[in-house]
Amino acid sequence: MSSDEAPPLELQGVVKRYGDFIAVSEVSLRVERGEIFALLGPNGAGKTTLISCITGLTRADAGSIRVFGADVLNDFRQTRRDVGLVPQEVNFDPFFTPRESLMIQMGLMGTEPDRAHVDALLRTFALYDHRDAYTRALSGGMKRRLLVAKALVHRPRLLFLDEPTAGVDVELRQDLWAEVVRLRDEGTTVILTTHYLEEAEELSDRIGVLRSGELIVVEDREALMDRHRAHRVVLQLDRALTALPDGLYPGAEIANRTLTVPFQGTDGLQTILSAVKQQAEIVDLRFEETRLEDVFMSLVSGP
Amino acid sequence: MNAVGTRTLLGKEIRRFSKVWLQTVLSPLVTTSLYFLVFGVALGARLDRIDGVPYIEYVIPGLVMLAMISNAFLNSSSSLFQSKVNGTSVDMMVAPLGPSEILFAYVSASVLRGHAVGLMVWLVATLFVGPRVENLLWTLSFSFVVTVIFGAFGVLVATWAQKFDHLAVVPNFVLTPLTFLGGVFYSVDMLPDLWSTVSRFNPVFYMVNGLRFGMLGISDVNPALSLGILLVLALFILWGAKRSIADGARLRL
Repeated sequence: MSSDEAPPLELQGVVKRYGDFIAVSEVSLRVERGEIFALLGPNGAGKTTLISCITGLTRADAGSIRVFGADVLNDFRQTRRDVGLVPQEVNFDPFFTPRESLMIQMGLMGTEPDRAHVDALLRTFALYDHRDAYTRALSGGMKRRLLVAKALVHRPRLLFLDEPTAGVDVELRQDLWAEVVRLRDEGTTVILTTHYLEEAEELSDRIGVLRSGELIVVEDREALMDRHRAHRVVLQLDRALTALPDGLYPGAEIANRTLTVPFQGTDGLQTILSAVKQQAEIVDLRFEETRLEDVFMSLVSGP
Repeated sequence: MNAVGTRTLLGKEIRRFSKVWLQTVLSPLVTTSLYFLVFGVALGARLDRIDGVPYIEYVIPGLVMLAMISNAFLNSSSSLFQSKVNGTSVDMMVAPLGPSEILFAYVSASVLRGHAVGLMVWLVATLFVGPRVENLLWTLSFSFVVTVIFGAFGVLVATWAQKFDHLAVVPNFVLTPLTFLGGVFYSVDMLPDLWSTVSRFNPVFYMVNGLRFGMLGISDVNPALSLGILLVLALFILWGAKRSIADGARLRL
């Protein structure tokens, strides 16, 4: 398969162990060109480890990883030129300014450093006015933007964002989202891990869920939401309940006089209302749509 | 091969120590010059000649070697360890650079800083005794192989270290004893037989005597033997350092 036809990322049975602990277990995945793929999972699910195996920060113990058809071990020079990584932890070299950092990173990636390209990138990320400041003097948000600029400086075709908006303010998060969408529209394939489910819900074309190192679901975002589509009814009661009425669906939550219950179909709703009425009067009632968070929780806490 | 990447990494390392030249270049020059003033000028006048050379001249190659060893080691070890601590080693690890290229860049920067400081120490010494280099080729052969050894050793230690304490252990408990007992300030022939024999297991002994042969034409040991031993040591340490870089886990904390 030529690199023109090959998918940006193809994983086959990837395994990574740390001693007896299996961080990534038999993960197979194919990511298509020009999509934003969100990798979700709770802390310790193996998201960062999987990305590390692909980007060269660590080596998988088994399986094959191909980037645009090239093997990440045998053809590492090719694959690393194609890949950009925004790591989870903000890093910066206190010896160099943002402009110098970008020039250096461009050179390390094997591309002749190009001042005009670097300056354009500095402008895109609103860092141009600080181009000659020492990096340690930048604000947290600026350091985070510099991190993204560094990952893009060699024009990668596949971009990994590992928790890109952890700990950043709303405005910067929106800016980064807009940038990610722009990159996708220009043809860059983006894989992001995130704790912010709204980020995946808003940005991603497809979603993969990792649980204990296993990839348990890979699906179009819409299909995933549809498949788990369920409504929730929120009931205001005339008194506080101390225990859930018998026969309620799993996932019901009780908080003082508010009872929230997921359900499917009108039969399900009738059952709920009947069960509740035996214990309390319903004062008010409203419906909620499923959120990705609910789907996510049901997936990662499932059997 | 990633020639642009290797060149960039080397350039980055050179700029790193050039930017803080007061600390990386001038400070060792002051320290070594003080050694020279105390041991060479003040005490040297009261000491006999060694192998026909006045003590003040005899001590110069040892002091130059002392400066080159510590600076070559400190350059690679502190730079690489700092990049582990601040997380920027990731930038290098995701780049299309092989372990040999990374090692080449770090060791070359160490070789350059070692020679920059060594040259300045030598220049200061010439103010007192005039310039003297008996054999430039031997001199440069030893200065080169020694800075390669300690540049690679610095990489090895930085990849092994998990905290700053680990990094300080080596200069304090390994380098300083080895250099002071390696004949920097004396000829090992002046020691009792037992200690003279023990000294021959110290690699710094061959380094100091090699440079002394190049600069002054005298040595406690055949310089070809010294160079042979140091070349084997260099290959061994380079091999270890390359393996350590290839094991990417050692480049991150």
